[in-house]
Amino acid sequence: MNAALAWKSLRPGPAVWVSMAAVGGALLAGTAMVALMGVSVRDAIGAFAEGAWGSPYALAASINRALVFMLVGLGFILAERANLTNVGGEGQIAVGGIAATALCLWSPVAALPFGLAFIVPMLGACLAGAFWGGIAGVLRVKAGTNEVIATLLLSFIAIWMVYGSVQSESLLRRPMTSAATLPESLEIPAVTQLPLLMGDASMPLHIGLPIGLVLAAAVAVVLGFTVLGLKLRAAGLNPRAARRAGMAIDRLTIGALCAAGALGGLAGACMLQGEQYTLKAGFSSGYGFDGLVVGLLARGSVPGVLAGSLLFGFLRSGGINMEMVAQVPTALVVVIQGLIIVTLGGAALAIQRMEKRNYV
Amino acid sequence: MIEPEMAAVFVGSSLRLAAPLLLAATGELVSERAGVLNMSVEGMMLTGAFAGAVGSWATGSPAAGLALGVLCVLPVAWLQAFLSITLRANQIVTGIGINILALGATTLGYRALFGSRSRAEIPGLDKWAPPGLADLPYLGEHVFRQTWLLYAAAVLVMGVAWAMRATSLGLAIHSAGTAPQAAANSGLPVNRIRYGAVLFAGFMSALAGCFLSIGDIHTFTEGMTGGAGYLAIAAVIFGNWKLGRTLLACVLFGAATALQFQLPALGVQVPSALLIMLPYVLALLAVGGLVGRQVAPAALTQPFGGR
Repeated sequence: MNAALAWKSLRPGPAVWVSMAAVGGALLAGTAMVALMGVSVRDAIGAFAEGAWGSPYALAASINRALVFMLVGLGFILAERANLTNVGGEGQIAVGGIAATALCLWSPVAALPFGLAFIVPMLGACLAGAFWGGIAGVLRVKAGTNEVIATLLLSFIAIWMVYGSVQSESLLRRPMTSAATLPESLEIPAVTQLPLLMGDASMPLHIGLPIGLVLAAAVAVVLGFTVLGLKLRAAGLNPRAARRAGMAIDRLTIGALCAAGALGGLAGACMLQGEQYTLKAGFSSGYGFDGLVVGLLARGSVPGVLAGSLLFGFLRSGGINMEMVAQVPTALVVVIQGLIIVTLGGAALAIQRMEKRNYV
Repeated sequence: MIEPEMAAVFVGSSLRLAAPLLLAATGELVSERAGVLNMSVEGMMLTGAFAGAVGSWATGSPAAGLALGVLCVLPVAWLQAFLSITLRANQIVTGIGINILALGATTLGYRALFGSRSRAEIPGLDKWAPPGLADLPYLGEHVFRQTWLLYAAAVLVMGVAWAMRATSLGLAIHSAGTAPQAAANSGLPVNRIRYGAVLFAGFMSALAGCFLSIGDIHTFTEGMTGGAGYLAIAAVIFGNWKLGRTLLACVLFGAATALQFQLPALGVQVPSALLIMLPYVLALLAVGGLVGRQVAPAALTQPFGGR
């Protein structure tokens, strides 16, 4: 890639403009709906801003959400490069959460020195996620199963695995001391929780953030500048030709889905060890699907993933506060999200045509 | 010892739980056979359930609710068709987008109409039992006395089976999803067939949604479909895109759900999570080729560029 071409790929193309228009339009539509509901638009926007970035705590909460979306989104574009659609982020988060909880609560792990107490559960979560993604990869290679369907089914299975694992004391449920004991795991020990960057809990950014950013850079480098990235692209564009050229397509396919799964599992570990500290049913809370959407909208670019995950992180946090303060259901954010996906999904072909015209 | 009454209740509730899946899966099957993977069944069912509940609540007539349910889902189905056929957008992306949109919109609508915590009882569809069968011991009360929509569903499914197998329309739908270019060369309007198939899937999903809200439990709750639409897609896959096996899958999934409520009553301790998971595991085994070779329609998810 020479310098001129590199600059051209960085310059905002039609995709960026169309994306911004879609987001702006959806936000406008959301504002109009707030007005229709008879709530003061000023109050609603005020509550939204307060919840999204109004205090250090709110800002950190938004960024932590964005981190989860970013990890899942990175996994998505990585697999997408090999023409594989990983819609299993939700399940990969769930199995990552289960693995991280199990390891954090296992006393030998908590006794490990040098911060290994929180690193080992994170690695375990990555492995669990990689395994979960790998199942879809193996099915794709061995049985020709469509990975969309396999990862979607695996997501539902994993979601119910979380539910099952906190229902039974022999698995992860906390010991029942009374009939009121909630079906959730014990809180993980403090040493296994992710260290906070700011030292205190007024702005609970945790170590997952720098790790995530390093991984984002790594994904950008792998996709843009390495032989592996080129191989993935070749496998995605024309698997038969790539195989003729001597590439191990099967291994690339399984590997890409494993890597996507590992990133999803890490996202699960960040949610559990960085914020929630106990495993509950419904732990993954739809973040995997949000991350999937971020990945879809990024159209294969790492900066796109970063922008999209920040946008959705702020949207989610602001939406929750809007419901609490201004009595605007947080479902409004869901509608806005849906509008963005449908518009951008529908405009994909038009964007492609515009891009082609620009390059010729 | 399994008592006959309990067995009858089990069979009856399996059928009742399978019915919405059956309706949605039949619609989905037609759409997939025509080449459109309609991921938005979930959203269409939810829209149908909501509009059906609102119609029934506002007019006091469940039949009017059913009509409103279908009426409100058709634009959603048209949107899915427009995006995936005319604009040739990614069918999975747009389907998931529509599901998210439907979840948000119905939740907003529900809050606006019913308030946040209301549990309004909504007039439901009448129950009916075929004359003669109604008087059988146990079976009459627990198995055959069902919402009339369930019997209508059975008739509809038989109609679809006949149309897909024995009519030129069925052949046209099959060819639109298998070899769209060849179908177009022989003069078939491929994209118009696909539009029709997606709208039909919307119609069936609307009925399925109404079955949930005004047929089964007479109320609407936020996100009440809870993945039933995805289960319907799983049933089509498990059924290897054939109607008979798809129906079998729906009944199996319904029975697995019914078991959740029945086993504790029998004193059998099976984690309910396992039973809820079971349909998805079965579907995964099926797509993994462990239940015979799966053959999807050749042009599934591929937009067709010609007319």
